[in-house]
Amino acid sequence: MMSGRRIMTADEIRRATIRLSHEIVEKQAGTDGLLLIGIQRRGVPLARRIAAAILENEGARVPVGALDITFYRDDLSLVAQQPVVKGTELPSGIDGRTVVLVDDVLYTGRTIRAAMDALVDFGRPQAIRLAVLVDRGHRELPIRADHVGKNVPTSREELVRVHLEETDGEDGVEIERIVDVPEPVGAGEPVG
Amino acid sequence: MSAVIDDAATTDVVVPSVDVAPESQPVGWRHRHLLDVDGLTAIDLDLVMRTADAMREVLARPIAKVPALRGRNVTILFYEASTRTRVSFEVAAKNLSADVVNIAAATSSVTKGESLIDTIRTVEALGAQMLVIRHSVSGAPYLAAEVFSGSVLNGGDGWHAHPTQALLDLYTMRSRLDGGSVAGRKIVILGDVLHSRVARSNIWSLTAAGADLWLCGPPTLLRGFEAWAGRGAAAGRRFHVTSSVEDALRDADVVMALRIQRERMASGLLPSLREYAARYGLTAARLALAKPAALVMHPGPMNEGVEIAAEVAAGPQSVITDQVTNGVAIRMALLYLLAGVASTGSGASPAANASPAA
Amino acid sequence: MTDLDIGRAWLVDPTVAREGPGEIVVRDGILEAVTWLEREEADGIDAGGVVVAPGFIDLHAHLREPGNEDAETVASGLAAAAHGGFTTVCAMPNTTPTLDEPGVLARIRTAAAASGSPVELLAHGAVSTGRDGETLAALGELADAGVVGFSDDGAPVRSASILRNALAYAGALGLPIVDHPEDPTLTDGAEANEGFVSTVLGLRGWPTAAEEAAVGRDLAILADVVRDVPGARLHLTHLSTAAALELVRRAKAAGLPVTCDVTPHHLALSDEWIAGARRFAWEAGEEGDPWRDDALVAAPYGSSLRVNPPLRTPADALACLAALADGTADAIATDHAPHTEVDKMVEFGEAANGISGIETALGLVLEAVDAGHLTLSRAIEALTAGPAAILGRRSRRNGSVGLVEGALADLVVFDRAERWMVSADRLASRGKNSPLIGLDLPGRVLVTIAGGQVAYEADLVTAR
Repeated sequence: MMSGRRIMTADEIRRATIRLSHEIVEKQAGTDGLLLIGIQRRGVPLARRIAAAILENEGARVPVGALDITFYRDDLSLVAQQPVVKGTELPSGIDGRTVVLVDDVLYTGRTIRAAMDALVDFGRPQAIRLAVLVDRGHRELPIRADHVGKNVPTSREELVRVHLEETDGEDGVEIERIVDVPEPVGAGEPVG
Repeated sequence: MSAVIDDAATTDVVVPSVDVAPESQPVGWRHRHLLDVDGLTAIDLDLVMRTADAMREVLARPIAKVPALRGRNVTILFYEASTRTRVSFEVAAKNLSADVVNIAAATSSVTKGESLIDTIRTVEALGAQMLVIRHSVSGAPYLAAEVFSGSVLNGGDGWHAHPTQALLDLYTMRSRLDGGSVAGRKIVILGDVLHSRVARSNIWSLTAAGADLWLCGPPTLLRGFEAWAGRGAAAGRRFHVTSSVEDALRDADVVMALRIQRERMASGLLPSLREYAARYGLTAARLALAKPAALVMHPGPMNEGVEIAAEVAAGPQSVITDQVTNGVAIRMALLYLLAGVASTGSGASPAANASPAA
Repeated sequence: MTDLDIGRAWLVDPTVAREGPGEIVVRDGILEAVTWLEREEADGIDAGGVVVAPGFIDLHAHLREPGNEDAETVASGLAAAAHGGFTTVCAMPNTTPTLDEPGVLARIRTAAAASGSPVELLAHGAVSTGRDGETLAALGELADAGVVGFSDDGAPVRSASILRNALAYAGALGLPIVDHPEDPTLTDGAEANEGFVSTVLGLRGWPTAAEEAAVGRDLAILADVVRDVPGARLHLTHLSTAAALELVRRAKAAGLPVTCDVTPHHLALSDEWIAGARRFAWEAGEEGDPWRDDALVAAPYGSSLRVNPPLRTPADALACLAALADGTADAIATDHAPHTEVDKMVEFGEAANGISGIETALGLVLEAVDAGHLTLSRAIEALTAGPAAILGRRSRRNGSVGLVEGALADLVVFDRAERWMVSADRLASRGKNSPLIGLDLPGRVLVTIAGGQVAYEADLVTAR
């Protein structure tokens, strides 16, 4: 199933997730007003794992939501086929809360831009923070993650693939070279 | 802030089943135009239904508007007067942040002196990127698709097709029927089938979805459908044609009444509206033949007291207002799906119905 | 004048019921020698290659002049005829003004002479003045001026009583009434043959009963008239339904003086084409379902397929072929009906009726021959001797056609093995309204000689 060079094992993903959960709680100085919102699709299981880790460590249940940013993408005119919409399910009332967006890979920043656009249509959070499993660089927008599982230097000719048990049957992160695709534009997966 | 809403450890975030299978690549939309329902596969239908689910979620948001079609020009060109369908498309396009241009060409191209092709070229020159067209002549959207370089969405043509109506009907049935499927369900389309594009489009979608479909009306308004049923059966698209209301309604799961128009009297197809109402109108007594929880549907606009009794239209079994709401979601879904194909400019054979885009 | 030598071809002469390998020599426009080859001389010559046949006769063509010269002129229509292998064309009288008096006939004859085309132009006069269906046109004057029959084509002779009178009056003049059989009360607003395809496409149904009822009416009136006027003759044009052909079959068996023709499009195409199928009627079969068979390859509602009578079911087309084969149908007539883009490039239901078909007639008929539904000799007969018999002595070909030594050459040479692609550019007709544009047809015409002169000659250097 995985074919590229492995840069994170299942165990490393597990430890990174726990670390992210600690950082998030520390930054918020607790869990009050905290909301975890995963970006479809791999951000969603990651958000749930982080929430589970918080429950284990702090004994607090943090609400989790799922955000589909498909309708907010700025590259719809570039893809060959409309991405399949996966659905948005937010805990009601994001007003005044601290929303932590969770995604698997931070790249150009366009997905996060879209996610923030989507989020503000639902209300006015007190703050929006960003937690990602992998930051691979090459930002195209002024966006920075608050919490990073692993920083991975990459070139634009490389592809970072995150696999999660919930969506892919196994855990792992790998990196591979892409030869034919000059632009990081996929039909089904959001950019960045 | 109100209490904690979710339990992180136990809450199920709704993730559609298609995403559960590892490495599954959802099948995307391939059609550049939506001109008919006959070219849609069961997979296509499913994709439309799931996208419409997402649109219903958008409609439930505090701001029921997303920027998916921002900067996109959707031109709505109607050659037939219709408020509800036009407004439904307009609301759908606006909910997706498209720029909407409305053109009411109430007269036919011939009396107006400008041909349909000229009109299409003109609206394209004015910036139309997606065209929603309604026309009184069957097949007119195909002519439009031949010259228009973007996507054409059929908003109803002659007696031929009304794809968005059929899809919203299917969506409404699936969301209201136990089990979420029309397969094996007895669905009756009652009334003026002959002149009905709604009936024709529903034949394709409902037989594709495995429904037990019955068409019922006076014999003069069913002309030709026995021939279709015969071929349909041979092709695995079985449906029944009958003039007996009792046979049709008995144990039905869904009854859809069709609008009857006054012109039918003038052409000698019916003696009178009164006689039609007496023999084929959907009354409470007739509805009692169907299953107790049978759904009542109508594509609108209704002639209450003629094809449907007012108490039935407004009764507890009626899902007619659902159809209207779902119409917006379905049209948003289709505009969204078509926009993806049109934007690449890679549509193949512009004339072919719902042709694959790549 | 013309010289032509065709060595080693397949000759077809329906007048002597002969076909086989042979050679012809034309000198100064005269068919000087017709040589039938025997045994080893004939080695390697078969019916699938170059064919020489008498020039074709079209009983039914709309040349649109006077009145609609944007769609066709006499000159362009005769050029199209020659390209299609026709050397004699009968123009229909539904022009503007109607050909209901000798002045209009003189006008088109002048146009034919001015065109320089050697193709023989004949004409039908109208049955009723202005084709109004109410008052008899000047049948006698028209007959004196040389019309070959009378027709209100485009529409049936509306009034049964006028038809009755016309049959009697024309019968005494020795001319047929050429009726377009359609009961208009059954076809008001009709768009496509009523049945499976029209129902699926939501097109207003055009029932076969409309043709059958009209044929029934016409035959009953003919039977009545012929008792008093033995010379009365009825020709039913463009029959398209199995039921109507069956009525004619029985009428002929009963000895009624009725003849009929079928068109190339009604014997090869079917209503499936409107749905987007592009297979011939015999490929579809009687139970064909283009949706089920995955046979939809073109956009539906092509307005070039809108025609009166409408394209019928594959079963009806097969009935047309059977009627040709058994002699119920006497002739193939093209019903060549050119239209302008303005009249055709519109919504299906708004489009003018008609197919520009005189140049594709041979190709469609040969498709039927290739598929085994018609013999080559019968096909040629229905394009030559069949119509010649109906015209009688009013054509310069004098009721007979054949490869007769010493006569003015009137023939067509075509290559069955060579296919050509129909395109707007290649159609000489001004009417580009052909559903066959973009398709390949067999039997490219190489040379057409009419009245001893070359009417059409393929550009053999570039095309071969």
